[in-house]
Amino acid sequence: MNNLLGLIIKEAMSVLVQPLPEVNPLQDSLRFARRVPPCAIVIFGASGDLSKRKLLPSLYRLFYERRISQNFAVIGSSRTPMSDDQFRERMKESVSKFLEDAPFDEDIWKSFAQCLFYVAGDLNDEASYEGLKKKLDEVEKSHQTAGNVLFYLSTQPSYYAEAIKKLGAHQLQKGNGWRRVIIEKPFGHDLNSARKLNDEIHQVLDESDVYRIDHYLGKETVQNILAFRFGNGIFEPLWNRRYVDNVQITAAESIGVEGRGGYYQEAGALRDMIQNHLSQVMATIAMEPPTVFDAANVRDERAKLLRAVRVVKPDDVAKYAVAGQYGPANVGGQDLPGFRQEKSVDPNAQTDTYAAVTFFIDNWRWADVPFYIRTGKRMPKRVTDIAIQFNAPPLGLFSQETKGGLREARPNLLVLRIQPEEGISLRFLSKSPGSGMRVRPVSMDFNYGSSFGERTPTAYETLLVDAMAGDPTLYTRQDMVDASWQIVQPILDVWGNTKFDFPNYAAGTWGPKASDEMLARQGHVWRVP
Amino acid sequence: MSSTIIFPAQPEQILKGLGKLWTSLGEEEKHQGRPTVLRACAMTLIVATDEADAGFAASQTISELMHEHPARGIVLAVSPDAENDLQARVLAQCWKPFGKAQQICCEQIEITAKPANWQNAAPMLAALTVADLPVIFWCRHQGAVKENACFTDKAAMEAIAKLSTKVIVDTSGMTSPEGVSFLTKWQAKGKLVADLEWTRLTPWREPLAHLFDDATRQNKFATFDTLEIEHTEDNPPIQALYLAGWLSAPCKAKVIFRKATGFGPGIQRVNFRSDEESIEFERTSAECVTLWSSAGRERKYTFGQPNVTALMTEELAVAGFDPAFHMALERARELLA
Repeated sequence: MNNLLGLIIKEAMSVLVQPLPEVNPLQDSLRFARRVPPCAIVIFGASGDLSKRKLLPSLYRLFYERRISQNFAVIGSSRTPMSDDQFRERMKESVSKFLEDAPFDEDIWKSFAQCLFYVAGDLNDEASYEGLKKKLDEVEKSHQTAGNVLFYLSTQPSYYAEAIKKLGAHQLQKGNGWRRVIIEKPFGHDLNSARKLNDEIHQVLDESDVYRIDHYLGKETVQNILAFRFGNGIFEPLWNRRYVDNVQITAAESIGVEGRGGYYQEAGALRDMIQNHLSQVMATIAMEPPTVFDAANVRDERAKLLRAVRVVKPDDVAKYAVAGQYGPANVGGQDLPGFRQEKSVDPNAQTDTYAAVTFFIDNWRWADVPFYIRTGKRMPKRVTDIAIQFNAPPLGLFSQETKGGLREARPNLLVLRIQPEEGISLRFLSKSPGSGMRVRPVSMDFNYGSSFGERTPTAYETLLVDAMAGDPTLYTRQDMVDASWQIVQPILDVWGNTKFDFPNYAAGTWGPKASDEMLARQGHVWRVP
Repeated sequence: MSSTIIFPAQPEQILKGLGKLWTSLGEEEKHQGRPTVLRACAMTLIVATDEADAGFAASQTISELMHEHPARGIVLAVSPDAENDLQARVLAQCWKPFGKAQQICCEQIEITAKPANWQNAAPMLAALTVADLPVIFWCRHQGAVKENACFTDKAAMEAIAKLSTKVIVDTSGMTSPEGVSFLTKWQAKGKLVADLEWTRLTPWREPLAHLFDDATRQNKFATFDTLEIEHTEDNPPIQALYLAGWLSAPCKAKVIFRKATGFGPGIQRVNFRSDEESIEFERTSAECVTLWSSAGRERKYTFGQPNVTALMTEELAVAGFDPAFHMALERARELLA
């Protein structure tokens, strides 16, 4: 079974990667790696966690695999005073520690380190930008970066607008080559602040130069949803309200806030996960096929889908959304603190560490099909997946075995596993061996790692290459961000004015009872991933 | 993990052997109480070889290829020293990906045949290919690809190729006319063909193509009217013909081949020019090539001959029709004529 699904996915991928007409007559997309033009990458917030854990390890890996131009440079910038060499030494420690699924090579590092530079400075300080400009001029000459610059805002979100304004004031948004800006989430704190931020950005930059990163979209398995849906002929006919009973998207984390209590207290699960990552995943699952596989068309379809999501009325929020917060528990002999006992967290915090929402998509394909999305911290395990629950056959002819001895109401389930153990499984009924016609559910499994032996690039590797190559397909556009804020804003508003009786679920469980009740009202149950 | 010799090599017995293999791997799982083995397969890869090592090198390469291209690997070693007319053994190639607890395992079947009997292997192979997945035939049997191959070798090659989606050969041991004619013949039979001599060109082609990403140069591509290729052999090797074909076909440039001395065998220097610009790509040491343009700057690239595993890894990733190779082969034929 692994074989068959493996083939389907491979074939789908080969259809989707059919190259668009090349302008370079010598291009050979079947064999040559995607080309990335020379450029300099400026990372604001270079001493932060994201740079250390994700950005630098990804850039090193791209360098190791020769997927970036020889003519490139990274300029780190943050308030901490450091020399180039000190910055290199710090990044070496981080890269060797956080490199995923790949070895660290001392010799390659030496070459890579020659491309790393550092400029100390405060984002509010005019002099920092002059220093940066000078450094960019230097590396343009020394590393022949052709004047192309990718700015990466990996700072506190409150600095985004100011940093972009100052880039404009110092004429850093234009130069000899292209200039692009990657902006990390959260993009705004709510609908109004997101719109305000957009306006401020557009005073300096064109929308085409703005790359709002949502690293979920860079995950291979999320991209594979498109291949699976639109590269195959057998699934899409079933992909609608006639055959699909409900869709469940789960993003569970087993860890708590891990030292990010201060940030998380202000954000919460709905803002941190559902407004961005999971609404984009839902859009990918439910969008219409684009007419052409390019950035504009794919993003148009995602945006269109998000605009079709029904905006819940304030009075209905309690019916369609559930907030939760974990309390202390003993898991596997270890005492785990509740959220309110975490470091830097207000002991009376009303933050949602769990959020579950029922969305309906008001279009012809999905009318009345509930899309259940849940995310939470301190859940039993780390898992992200999407389950498409198909309708039951019209008549139940066979008795079925299940763990609880109950008949499975809807035997056909397609699960797209985003992480870990990336893959796809399809559950269907099969006859149990022996006399009599007893059936039980079995699973047909495709495992990404076994059918594609090669190493899967991390989401940040994919997205950094895309930004350097000028491909925004996997980045979110202004209208997509706007639409996804619109669907969560009423919930945020109501929750903001509600005093919850938190904690309402114990660490190590699948969330509050109210969440199960939300599904029960529709005749559904959460599956256990 | 190996199993006993299966003789006579009946397909049913071989498949039974594979079944047993998986059962024994499953036993291990029972003891561990969790899934420890994952079976992987994306194609059937048949390798026929007449090398003196009785298929050892081919088996070794297959086991390396499995990591990136999981397959049911079938090594058909043709040797006069074979113990029996046709015998087989089955084994699993397993490895543990970095940081994972579960092993990934692929099936491998090793068949040895006496030269007179290897054409009888084809019906057996027909039963051993994995259903619904591509069948790739990598012919390392030098006798079978020769122009003057004996009847048995030709018949065997033909029968196995018939089962296959794609045939991969290495024409490095042939003269250019032989190689081109061999591939053309198979193409005419409607087979997808690939040549590792073409795959070896990727380190030459990629930097050259990269130059034309520059929009200004791209617009002037049609003005590049002369291509000179220097090589160490008396006559242009097939690599030189492919490279000439690929570079000159889109702009119909005039092609000049020239013998020269240099670093190692094969292509030494490529000069592609128009009235306005001259591009030189030259081996400047045993490990280095230098790309230079009269309109740009000089770049150096490390140059190492990729090993056969790397070549096959690249080639297996090109599952379907390869338009660039097709164009290069067609133009190579014209250049030879």
